[in-house]
Amino acid sequence: MKRKMKIEDFGRPARQLVTLEPSDLLPLPPPYDEPRPLKQLSEEQRERYEASLDGFVGIGITKPASAKEEEEFVRKFLSGLKKLLSKENNWTFLQPLVHSLDYCVKCQLCNDSCPAYVASGKQEIYRPTFRPEILRRIINKYLKKESGILRKLTASDIDLNFTLLARLAELAYRCSLCRRCAQVCPLGIDNALISREIRKLFSQEMGIAVRELHEQGTVQQLKVGSSTGITPKALANIIAFMEDDIEEKMGRRIEIPVDKEGADMLLLHNAGEFLAWPENPEAFAILLDAAGISWTLSSEIAGYDAVNYGIWYDDVQAARVAIHHAEAARRLKVKKICVGECGHSHKAMLVIADRILTGDLNIPRESALPLLADLVCNGKIKLDPKRNDFPVTLHDPCNMVRLMGIVEPQRKIVRAICPQFREMEPHGVENYCCGGGSGFAIMQSMNFPDWRNNVSARMKMKQILEAFGDVPDPAQKKYVCAPCSNCKGLLRDLIEYHGAWEKSGIFYGGLVELIVNAMTDLKKPFIEWEWH
Amino acid sequence: MAKVTLGGIEIEIDEDGFIQEPDKWNKEVAEDLAKAEKAYPMGEDHWKLVNYLRDYYLKYEIAPPVRMLVKQTGLDLKKIYELFPGGPAKGACKIAGLPKPTGCV
Repeated sequence: MKRKMKIEDFGRPARQLVTLEPSDLLPLPPPYDEPRPLKQLSEEQRERYEASLDGFVGIGITKPASAKEEEEFVRKFLSGLKKLLSKENNWTFLQPLVHSLDYCVKCQLCNDSCPAYVASGKQEIYRPTFRPEILRRIINKYLKKESGILRKLTASDIDLNFTLLARLAELAYRCSLCRRCAQVCPLGIDNALISREIRKLFSQEMGIAVRELHEQGTVQQLKVGSSTGITPKALANIIAFMEDDIEEKMGRRIEIPVDKEGADMLLLHNAGEFLAWPENPEAFAILLDAAGISWTLSSEIAGYDAVNYGIWYDDVQAARVAIHHAEAARRLKVKKICVGECGHSHKAMLVIADRILTGDLNIPRESALPLLADLVCNGKIKLDPKRNDFPVTLHDPCNMVRLMGIVEPQRKIVRAICPQFREMEPHGVENYCCGGGSGFAIMQSMNFPDWRNNVSARMKMKQILEAFGDVPDPAQKKYVCAPCSNCKGLLRDLIEYHGAWEKSGIFYGGLVELIVNAMTDLKKPFIEWEWH
Repeated sequence: MAKVTLGGIEIEIDEDGFIQEPDKWNKEVAEDLAKAEKAYPMGEDHWKLVNYLRDYYLKYEIAPPVRMLVKQTGLDLKKIYELFPGGPAKGACKIAGLPKPTGCV
């Protein structure tokens, strides 16, 4: 049962503010329509971590041991909030933050654009305008010291305590930063940016961040070279394996260039590809070799891992990682950096880094998608679309498509080489997030994956099933093409959770794999369906 | 984080059951982990996989790509899921005492 929820309730003591009922969730088409129970935390976990928002844990904030600790928590938050609203401390995002806080007219037009809000059965707390309103009220009362009478008259009071702030921090991790809400807003209010700025305040000022993004993410990346833990030594081993694998499929060996000084471009892959989907960097190597392009990988710290989780939660970490990427390119004296199939790295390197990289670190940076479209559509590689004669749909990664407007290159490719290509609805800049954006796909602890599979990814599941609605037979293999490592990780888990391979023959993979699969001089099919 | 007794020794594990002190891993620890992962009793193929993962980890401080694992052990993915219902990462790696996979994998 959904309870009426008011912002005033947000800081009130309660074991759990909101309980999601499987029967309230957005219905999926059969045979996926049976409500499934949601994974509950153990009592011990509830005791240890703050889970009183919705019973799910993304961050795992530990509760304060004393009243003094709680006071200190609130004080630190308010001091951080002051910094967040000052030019000296937030030169990166102050303007859009203040614009979004000050000018939202609360028309609520954005609500129905949010996949998590709609898929949850319209739970009040997931509304895109809910968290910004909490922040606004805190600012008005505690920083602007608005009078109590005014707050009463406008019914906008709020009382700060640990519980409210811990819930707010968790709630900032129920928004995947897809920015669909910002797209439909007539005033350009970016409520996703506010989610991200809340995460930033907690990380930079209070040391509270999701472990997978911080300790195991950016910190590990800057220390050993990659958020996956791949060291330069392990990278060399995996590349040798990839070269063997290519030889087996192509009948000839291709050397994968590493640290080749003076190459035209440095190709940055999300290092998740090397571990989970080595066929993706293999396919890139095959295509770039066939097209005679001068390129290289880097084996420098962070130079072989395009990820920059900092853009999801912390400006300082984001800047550190971006500088490492640019330095790897500068040392190799390449003319440009090309970002492979990784959505958030497109945002980090091609958009955000413009505010970070200066002087000779400001090396030209491009997306791989237009380059791939050129290879496919201008006859630079011999392709036979008949090799891809199975139903294919295309998932649009939010950062490439909605944020950057890279819409057509990937479509030109699949239209040219996939005879059974069909769009999902809606698509292009109006796409839905896979449900794994902003770190959700890699947040694998406790019961968070269950929230993701059932709520944030639910709209995507529905879209995929509808796109293949005319071919329900599981014997007919189908391919969801997602040119983004993070989206692929999400899709893999989502397909497994719903048993969609067994029930519907749905598989997933990247874009370059489809291109190489269509190459005429390949000895055997490149796409191997048995990896479902 | 919590401490549990595995193979007769006290070991710290994370919220998802991965051991946090890889140096304490031994065969008895692995067998106790396997019980929780529905991979017990462990036969020859279980050990083949676990030992492969363990050796790779000691050499490279990371788990190998699943494709490499399949190729070099000769056990296909279906067989791996039969042996370790949790799959290669959440099942086999956990039993081999490797840390939980991180990053976009």
